[in-house]
Amino acid sequence: MHCWSCKEPVGGPGCVSCGSLQPPPPKPDLFGILGLERRYSLDRKDIDKAWRARTRGTHPDRYAGQTALQRRLALQWTAHLNEARKVLRDPVARAWYLATGSSRPPSKGAPSVSQDFLEEVFELQMGDDEERQRRGALLQQALEDEITAMFTAWEAGEGGLERIPERLSRLKYATNLCKPPE
Amino acid sequence: MANIGIDLGTTNSLVAVVMGGRARCLLDDEGSALTPSAVQFVEGTDTPRIGLEALESAAENAQATLTSFKRFMGRNMTEARAVAGDLPYQLAEADGDKVVRFDVGADPRGEGRREVTPVEASAWVLRMLYMRAADCLLATPGGVVITVPAYFDDAQRQATRDAGKLAGMNVLRLLNEPTAAAIAYGLQEKKQGVFAVYDLGGGTFDISILELTDGVFQVLSTAGDTRLGGDDFDRELVEELGLGSTSGGDLRSALDRAIAIKHALTSSDQAEGVTRGRFEQRIRPLVERTLASCKQALKDAELEVGDVDGVVLVGGSTRVPLVRQMVGELFEAEPYCDLDPDQVVALGAAMQADILSGQSELADDMLLMDVVPLSLGIETMGGVVERLIWRCTPIPCEASETFTTHVDGQTAVDLHVVQGERELSKDNRSLARFKLKGLPDMPAGLPRVKVSFTVDADGILQVSATEQYTKTHAEIDVQPSYGLDDAQVEQMLEDAIDNAETDVDERLLIEARVEAEQIVATVKKALKNDGELLAAGEREAIEGVMVKLEAAMGGRDRKPVQDLSKELDEVTAPFAQRRIERDLKAALEGQDALAVSKALERTVGTSEAR
Repeated sequence: MHCWSCKEPVGGPGCVSCGSLQPPPPKPDLFGILGLERRYSLDRKDIDKAWRARTRGTHPDRYAGQTALQRRLALQWTAHLNEARKVLRDPVARAWYLATGSSRPPSKGAPSVSQDFLEEVFELQMGDDEERQRRGALLQQALEDEITAMFTAWEAGEGGLERIPERLSRLKYATNLCKPPE
Repeated sequence: MANIGIDLGTTNSLVAVVMGGRARCLLDDEGSALTPSAVQFVEGTDTPRIGLEALESAAENAQATLTSFKRFMGRNMTEARAVAGDLPYQLAEADGDKVVRFDVGADPRGEGRREVTPVEASAWVLRMLYMRAADCLLATPGGVVITVPAYFDDAQRQATRDAGKLAGMNVLRLLNEPTAAAIAYGLQEKKQGVFAVYDLGGGTFDISILELTDGVFQVLSTAGDTRLGGDDFDRELVEELGLGSTSGGDLRSALDRAIAIKHALTSSDQAEGVTRGRFEQRIRPLVERTLASCKQALKDAELEVGDVDGVVLVGGSTRVPLVRQMVGELFEAEPYCDLDPDQVVALGAAMQADILSGQSELADDMLLMDVVPLSLGIETMGGVVERLIWRCTPIPCEASETFTTHVDGQTAVDLHVVQGERELSKDNRSLARFKLKGLPDMPAGLPRVKVSFTVDADGILQVSATEQYTKTHAEIDVQPSYGLDDAQVEQMLEDAIDNAETDVDERLLIEARVEAEQIVATVKKALKNDGELLAAGEREAIEGVMVKLEAAMGGRDRKPVQDLSKELDEVTAPFAQRRIERDLKAALEGQDALAVSKALERTVGTSEAR
């Protein structure tokens, strides 16, 4: 990549040689744009720290007196940074993003969960509210632990992410079970 | 060119600037920082009375005097009619979906009525403050930061920005009022912490939770009540006085009495037979309503009371002791109230304006990040809202969502952009409707229409829609919902620029005339008293220039006035020198100390009169 303005090579949002902001990539990697390693086990504090450091350099307020193009690019970069922070701060969205490249479950063709699991959920839904919430919370905790374990193995180079979308789909059912009655 | 900050308030407006590293509010000729947000239209002339001048004669010109018009910013006629019941002025005749217009009397340019929008009224107030800044700074201000309530939606922000444009300003940034207050208190120097900003003005209440980390300010949440403020305290007092059923002028004087009592009760326990206890009993439910909003804001920010490190008080109504006490108790913290609560927002705006100039020392340390005040979405089937951007998302931000058609062969999609937290489109605020045309003739569900929202650092939304297969594209800056189309804004801008030039010219002409008058008076007096000091032909030469100058002073062109003033000054210079020498000599000869100092005074006097 070369700076559009002075043609020197660039790596980040701004050109080191002439200070011009570069156009952001259309679909930036959410970890990369924040300068974070691509992993599941991330501390919110570290995400925020990276976000603040990057945003300092790209926020439109820094370009208040400059050209419309610079201000536009500043807006785009900062919007991307804000989006990256939002997704990565949320463990479920972060898990979806790592496993599928999208921070939300796919609207069509979502991974189907097993018939047994669905029947269990259905039974709980029909039953007593207190019992439903109690069992839901247990289920949720177990799934979260399982997902974390899968990611830990992946980060250690000992496994893939194939089974994660299905677990995330189950987690969504479990989370719904925990909701208090309306 | 110094940047300035303007607090465009519902009741009062202020302008401030950073000078010598310190923010200060600029005062009017009366020494007041507060300019009433009031505009009065005078029959037979284009130029209205603004501020105190407008208020002073408001009683006899009620219909022509606009106040509290900030409430109508970005609103349409239907919305305005719902709240206009107790207005002393009138709404114009117009369709419900049109921008709010006030009928302020006969049109000086023609037969019809003169109608004024809240944007225009705001522009007049902004222009006055801008001129004050120009006078104080002896230069045209650079850019302007204007503050808006944190809960202002897109249309209201857009309207505020338009008012700035209309006033001929370069609007650098719209800044949330609570954030401005936090900057004014220099909270960024604390590096870390969570702060609540409690802003109780005359007619509005606003609470914001801000988080500060390493000099980055972030608004975590905002809540408030647009119909709650110190004016409600006044009404409670009017009730207490047994004057609740008065109206018109009597109500005005009852309210004035109530305000005096309210002010007295901040420092004494009793005023006009009303005890502080009784007053507090009356207003307690109102203050409790503000506390409920505070709790909501904390909840939105996912915080507990114990997480809040400090609470900043803004707005004149926070001078009421009960407010301070109850707010302090809720947040378990001593409130910040060292700065004048009326000035805090303007001071912060000036500091932010200074930061945006890039010249400030603070610029490297501080960054401000606001959030979207209300969720933004698109109406889908059945009138349900699909949200693209949730409230309290940091701005700037972008989001997109793909929609499709519901009918076979549908070639256009109507898009309805809404803002608010309600599930159904009709319960939210409608921001804009636009149409994406020219879709390919496809079965229902096949076209893929990608709608993208972009919110800039001012919180203003831009929407675009693209059909993914054919790349059919439509884009709008969201603004037409409050009824001003681009052509109208253009026309208003043109008018404003014309008028702005006339305004400035007028002032410079007056200044030149005043200066010329002083010179002519000095010269005439000298010719009369010291005629014997004139050289041959000198009187004729001086009088010749003076006659020409006096003729020019009667005209509308300031250039000859300035040129001839200078010429008169030059032609009288040797004469003036002789007079000074003579007086000094006489005084020194007589060793008369008083006469010497008088002679010297006259030299000073002449130079001042130049």
